[in-house]
Amino acid sequence: MLPFAQVLLDGLFTGSTYALIAAGLALILGVVKVVNLSHGAFFSLGAYIAYALSTKGVSNPAVAVLLACVIAFAFGVFLGKSFINPVRSHPFSVAVGTLGFAILFEQAAQMLWGPHPVSIGAGPPWAVVDGVVVRRWGAISLIASTVILLAIALFLHSRFGLPVKLIAEEEEIAESVGMDVEKIRYLTFGFASAAAAAAGVLLAPATSITPTMGRVPLILSLIVVIASGMENIAAIFLLAVGLGLLSNVSAYLFSPQWSYVSLLSVICLLLLLRPEGLSATMPGRDY
Amino acid sequence: MIFSPRSTTGALALGTGLLLLLPLAGLDHFLLDVLASGFLLAAYVGSWDIVGGVAGQICLGHALFFGTATYSCALLTSLAGWPFAAAAAAALLLSTTAAAVVGTFSGRLKGPFIALLTLALGELAHEVALGQTFFSPRGAYSWGGEGGIPVALPWGSPSPWASYYGALLFLFLSTWGMTRIARSKDGLIWTAISGSELTARASGVDVARHKRRAFLVAGLLAGAAGVGFAAHVGRATAADFSLELSFQAATFAAIGGRGTIVGPVLAALLLHALFQGAGIAPAARVLLYALALLLVLRFFPAGVAGTLRERVRERNMVPEGASR
Repeated sequence: MLPFAQVLLDGLFTGSTYALIAAGLALILGVVKVVNLSHGAFFSLGAYIAYALSTKGVSNPAVAVLLACVIAFAFGVFLGKSFINPVRSHPFSVAVGTLGFAILFEQAAQMLWGPHPVSIGAGPPWAVVDGVVVRRWGAISLIASTVILLAIALFLHSRFGLPVKLIAEEEEIAESVGMDVEKIRYLTFGFASAAAAAAGVLLAPATSITPTMGRVPLILSLIVVIASGMENIAAIFLLAVGLGLLSNVSAYLFSPQWSYVSLLSVICLLLLLRPEGLSATMPGRDY
Repeated sequence: MIFSPRSTTGALALGTGLLLLLPLAGLDHFLLDVLASGFLLAAYVGSWDIVGGVAGQICLGHALFFGTATYSCALLTSLAGWPFAAAAAAALLLSTTAAAVVGTFSGRLKGPFIALLTLALGELAHEVALGQTFFSPRGAYSWGGEGGIPVALPWGSPSPWASYYGALLFLFLSTWGMTRIARSKDGLIWTAISGSELTARASGVDVARHKRRAFLVAGLLAGAAGVGFAAHVGRATAADFSLELSFQAATFAAIGGRGTIVGPVLAALLLHALFQGAGIAPAARVLLYALALLLVLRFFPAGVAGTLRERVRERNMVPEGASR
């Protein structure tokens, strides 16, 4: 049973970090009101930044997280302001354009760092309890992602989070009371992208880093936001941990590739069983 | 007046003449091969435009139908020992069935959710194709995975001339058929659904049934392109199911003008011939396509041809109104 306990513990660690990505996707869906298929690319961006730093001898995760957040924030603001805002009323342009951005990043990463998987040394384990290894990256990412998620929740409940919540619910009113809706939209896009990149840095030692690695957390986050909506951060966290466990267990029982297959099957089933999906939360647009 | 119907016919006739003449004008085998696969890719992109452009359903898993056909050809000829013609017929049937299933499920979904479902289904097929490796019946080398499965062709490896003219003929027939379908009664209904599902339903259109039919037609044509590709390349690989291939269909369609059939076909043919003929590596090619797509979506929301046509029309309308 010990290897299984190990798998569950690692699943908890990765799942809690996936929650960070899912929370970002939920924020984008709630505030910008688009389904962002490029979200996984920011996760890969973070992982590659961690890799590039480790080859330069910088292995401090705090430095890597900060740098990745700043870079991803810049890209996210660019994408949100210069692409998403002008086209966001066209579902085709949003879906294909954000996918196009993800593929642009995948191909660029393949040209810069090569198509083959690269990895970072995971470092010495943090502690060993009854033969179950508590990995250093795991402890760091569990703590870091919980702290960031709590900060997001606190921000949304505070006075400063009010404009964001108002735009998510009543865009016209937010506009009529003089809020700069467009600015808040692209800033949200930037922050959510930074969160995904932070998750990429945190999980970089746990996975093999490949150009297409962002597709797994993208599908996982899509499942989370379709199933749990985007109001409740606790629900997002629990669901992401559950799916992280599912993907780790299926990788352990079959082969690593199966974690992606199981997530893809879950999203297909979810869309078939709940065809109305998020339509209740999307703006009243006739597609 | 670049895009008026009459001059389009003239330009198409000129293009046809040039394409028929090219092999005789001493084009080398490499370029013949590039153009032949370009014709098949263009037909595949045209089939995307039936469901994605004319019917307006954001399909991000179109490679599913293409790959189903190539894999059926490979598995049935090499593993089951069927003759190629029978395998090709079965491949068409299977890709149409896959399209019917996807179309049925998509009937209940809307906008971005169709995109998510088709994307996930395409990726599932890709992962399965990547993961399945098995020993070939003769000898102990492995098939499947990245390397793919060979297609047993009755004529061995086809001559580049036969491939070129065969693919060209297929492209002409399928493009002609697709423009006819787009202008038929069904095509008009699909255009109405693309404009507004609610309005179409209010006018008494069975939206779910028509969505399914659009998928069916598109899947059949994508399958036909897949059969042609299997016959041309002689191998089915996991790349036939890849997200990059699905993405290329939507990209070329967006660049050429969604819903115009001829626009996406020409965009696919020109860009593919240009980039592959110039010897640009696949990764760089897809990167350039993605870049072109983002620029087009940002600055030409109705596609290059579509937006230009709108502008030409606007310009022509002003003086007429002024002279009156």
